[in-house]
Amino acid sequence: MRKSVSWLLLAVTCLLVGIAGPAALGAEPIKIGLHAPLTGFAAADGLSVKQSVELAVKQVNEAGGINGRPIQLVVYDDRADAKEAVAVAYKLIEQDKVVAVVGGSYSAPMRAVAPIYQQAGIPMVAGFAVHPDITRAGDFVFRCGMLGPIEGAAAGEVAGNILKAKTACLMTMDNDFGRALAEGFRKRAGELGVKILWESLYPLGEQDFTPYITRLKQLGPDVVFASGYYNEAAQFCKQAKELGLKAQILGEEGFDSPKFIEIAGKASEGVIIVTNLNRDDTRPVARAFIEDYRKLYKMEPDMVGASNFDALLVIADALRRAGSTDPKAIRDAIATTANLNGATGVIRSFNKLGESMKPIQVQVVKEGRFRYFAEVSDPAIITPPEK
Amino acid sequence: MFWQQLANGVTMGGIYALITLGLTMVYGVLRILHISHAGVFALGAYAGVVALSLSGNLVVITLIAMAVCGLVGMLMQRWVYRPLMGSSRIVPLIASIGMFILMEDLFRLAAGPYVLPLPAEVPFGLDQITTSFVTGNQLIVLSGAVGLLILTWLVINHTRLGLAWKATEQDFETAASCGINVDQAVAMNFLLGSAIAGAAGVLVGFYYNSVSPTMGSVPAYKAMAIAVLGGLGNVWGTVVASVLLGVTEAFLVTSPVGLLLPRDSIAFVALILVLLFRPYGLFGRR
Repeated sequence: MRKSVSWLLLAVTCLLVGIAGPAALGAEPIKIGLHAPLTGFAAADGLSVKQSVELAVKQVNEAGGINGRPIQLVVYDDRADAKEAVAVAYKLIEQDKVVAVVGGSYSAPMRAVAPIYQQAGIPMVAGFAVHPDITRAGDFVFRCGMLGPIEGAAAGEVAGNILKAKTACLMTMDNDFGRALAEGFRKRAGELGVKILWESLYPLGEQDFTPYITRLKQLGPDVVFASGYYNEAAQFCKQAKELGLKAQILGEEGFDSPKFIEIAGKASEGVIIVTNLNRDDTRPVARAFIEDYRKLYKMEPDMVGASNFDALLVIADALRRAGSTDPKAIRDAIATTANLNGATGVIRSFNKLGESMKPIQVQVVKEGRFRYFAEVSDPAIITPPEK
Repeated sequence: MFWQQLANGVTMGGIYALITLGLTMVYGVLRILHISHAGVFALGAYAGVVALSLSGNLVVITLIAMAVCGLVGMLMQRWVYRPLMGSSRIVPLIASIGMFILMEDLFRLAAGPYVLPLPAEVPFGLDQITTSFVTGNQLIVLSGAVGLLILTWLVINHTRLGLAWKATEQDFETAASCGINVDQAVAMNFLLGSAIAGAAGVLVGFYYNSVSPTMGSVPAYKAMAIAVLGGLGNVWGTVVASVLLGVTEAFLVTSPVGLLLPRDSIAFVALILVLLFRPYGLFGRR
């Protein structure tokens, strides 16, 4: 019995190696680490991150790997928890001896591990964590996604210049993410003369928005800028529709999930969001990501996945140009990234702080899908700080 | 504005009452803090999602979920709590917390980490009704809650089973020696309490159109606070405390107080005050 099991395992292993690609066979793999919150409250995002980065690795390996060597991904669950993430970081550095890391988790865990990677001299590219302190850990830490205040400012631009709103209210999620967005929105909307009538904070995981919406109805703003992850976002839009709120709802990247549309149903129609992924992007890299993802996992890709897909591409590109697996050489290559085509846009370069710069996408929900609405590319808004 | 806010609060109160009721009932009879009750609540919602493939009707789905949860509740009592009966009170509590964590992870493994929708059909098109201050979905949740509360009241006050619970609650051994089948009474208590939690799961899943593995986490501790507020074991105290809390939250979250005091903390501030001045709860007996 035991013998037949071993044979089966051997057969499966051979099959898996076969799938990994002929170019990859034989050569020693390059190990890259990935933090993903696979369990806990952020498990859905974690799955998206894992699947997207695995897709990127598959695409790189099928195209011949890095100078003939395949990439091997080492994935650990950090539960979106800072303590857990620290343990994962030490494991990736000391036990797995990875040469670079994709930071595919939330702001709190990424903030905790950034100094660890900095000290160990292992380059880390954060996918969608928005907190400014992450890249301030040092020159080994980079960010592919957007900074919260910049994304918020883009939303302010949409409200004032595209939607021509005169008044706005804010529904702000009470965490780093929501507050950073609100800060950017208030600033930009203020510059454009949009009057902010009311701002309310609500806790992560809130389900019942009816009291807030009742108040919003009474105030009657032109636009409501709401922050939240897809579940809170869907509840807010669904209940706003039921209670008859007339204002245009303007969301952010947390709304960017097929689950948002599924839960909010018809109430998601017409909701506008600022995000990091354009579904109607015609560039081949973006199309390959979106279509391969649909084919492979039988679900719609989202912003969280796309941002981390790009983080892996940044590392792969750096590995190719560095021609070495020395972490210092990889870091130097990432720092000189130029015009890299990613799923979320063209990453022109990383600045001194390690922040990337690219246009911010504005999407609208039409017939149950995210579609192109506009793009914010004004350098005055999207340029990240150098310090 | 006032009436709509009141309707919002009462609806929330109805949801709280449904979630807390079973917890209070179990505590009343067995004196166990049944944390995994919140897991049964989430199980009800998942049973509802599965039942959706059998029937689209909300009433049918709720009945199926109640049956599943009632059964699971009984099994928990039979296999986990009964063997621990003789041990100190902390032991069943720890077992209960363990079961709750286990259930959350089982849901994740079985159904995935994503939120699942629960788009059940509503009989009589009740969800299409929208008045100036209450929505169709709120009416559905409220009517479900009121119906189940009346049912519970009837069982407790007008059946032999209710009488057996009251006797068991007062004294286990004396009740048994007077010919009451204590084991059966306790099992039925778990059955009904868990079935109501199951119904609450479906109604909440339907109301928010969202079912997720961690949906029981907030109810787990909030229900505990409400049960203590209402006087542990006191069913009517629980209902009043739930509605009071729901309405207070609705009016407070959008006021300046709401900025200082997050919504979920209101229950605990009330709990601390009540424990300081009336440790037996608002409506509990000394």
